[in-house]
Amino acid sequence: MANIAAQRIKREFKEVIKSEEVAKCAIKLELVDDNYTELRGEIAGPPDTAYEGGNFLLEIKVPETYPFNPPKVRFMTRIWHPNISSVTGAICLDILKDQWAAAMTLRTVLLSLQALLSAAEPDDPQDAVVARQYKENLEMFKLTARHWTNVYAGGPNVNPECDEKIKRLIDMGIEEHQARVALSSYNWDLERATEQLFS
Amino acid sequence: MSTTSTSEEVKDNTSREDEGDAPNTKDEDKSNENLLECNICLDTAKDAVVSLCGHLFCWPCLHQWLETRPNRPVCPVCKAAISREKVVPLYGRGSKKQEDPRNKVPPRPAGQRTEPDNNFSGFGFGDGGFHMSFGIGAFPFGFFTSTFNFGEPRPNMPPHGTPQNMEEQFLSKVFLWLALIFIAWLLLA
Repeated sequence: MANIAAQRIKREFKEVIKSEEVAKCAIKLELVDDNYTELRGEIAGPPDTAYEGGNFLLEIKVPETYPFNPPKVRFMTRIWHPNISSVTGAICLDILKDQWAAAMTLRTVLLSLQALLSAAEPDDPQDAVVARQYKENLEMFKLTARHWTNVYAGGPNVNPECDEKIKRLIDMGIEEHQARVALSSYNWDLERATEQLFS
Repeated sequence: MSTTSTSEEVKDNTSREDEGDAPNTKDEDKSNENLLECNICLDTAKDAVVSLCGHLFCWPCLHQWLETRPNRPVCPVCKAAISREKVVPLYGRGSKKQEDPRNKVPPRPAGQRTEPDNNFSGFGFGDGGFHMSFGIGAFPFGFFTSTFNFGEPRPNMPPHGTPQNMEEQFLSKVFLWLALIFIAWLLLA
């Protein structure tokens, strides 16, 4: 059983290495261990989105029952997205759950995740806070997502205003990431974020 | 990774040269190989079956997929409805092992063989009209004449408006009146 999983991952790995997406640097796949049970994926933020210019690392765990059950995928890079937990990186995507089909491959999974970054589904959220912001204040959501992409995924868009507000909270003794989460959750309203942090 | 694949390619090429299959280019061979790959294990399909939507699988692979999700049987490639009964096994000619693949576990479903149509249309009811005849005659002969018309299909009604149709309508009316007159005569006599 584990044999068919390993055999398939081997073939898929070759397929990804040869694929044109890798040539375009859109996706990447690396082995973490020698028995093909854990891999490291990487996807580029799609152009014309808040994630453009960022590179997002993914943890891929292949179950023994692969390909009859989907691989377990999680974002290792922090990301601000309605369908991805900003805390754990857990992904809410149907093909990684009940819509998985045995003919899907790691390549199609990586491409689907890239597509998820350009087309969020706020009505089926993983992170309720992000999803609410997406629906109520899309501009604020884009600003926050761009800022997170810049800080955690190496994106090019620096936002001095955000950095300044975070610095103010750090000066009050708050840890940087905690400060960023609080400000992001309260639409970068410094007063409300402070209130929440000290309540 | 790349070193192993090149060594495989080299080996492939030499074996082909030995067989004298020079004209086939490598790309063609590769695409032909991919055509016969199982969509689940990505290896050459063993005990091959094909779904009604046309996707090829090893039967053990597909069986396991159907077992994994018994309440949602869909094609792993296109998500069309699929079931154990609705896959067709592929029997090639050159298989070395002559054993019946259905004896293996899991058993591969049998091929579906449909009988050709033989135009048998029941007892003459199917063609639109019940049809019975009777006759009167001396004992042994009458027995043969008054039978149901089993087996033989009745010729189809000619289309409306054709001369043949009108003729038949006329004839059937004439015979009906003859029969009625005959019965009346029997009763009166």
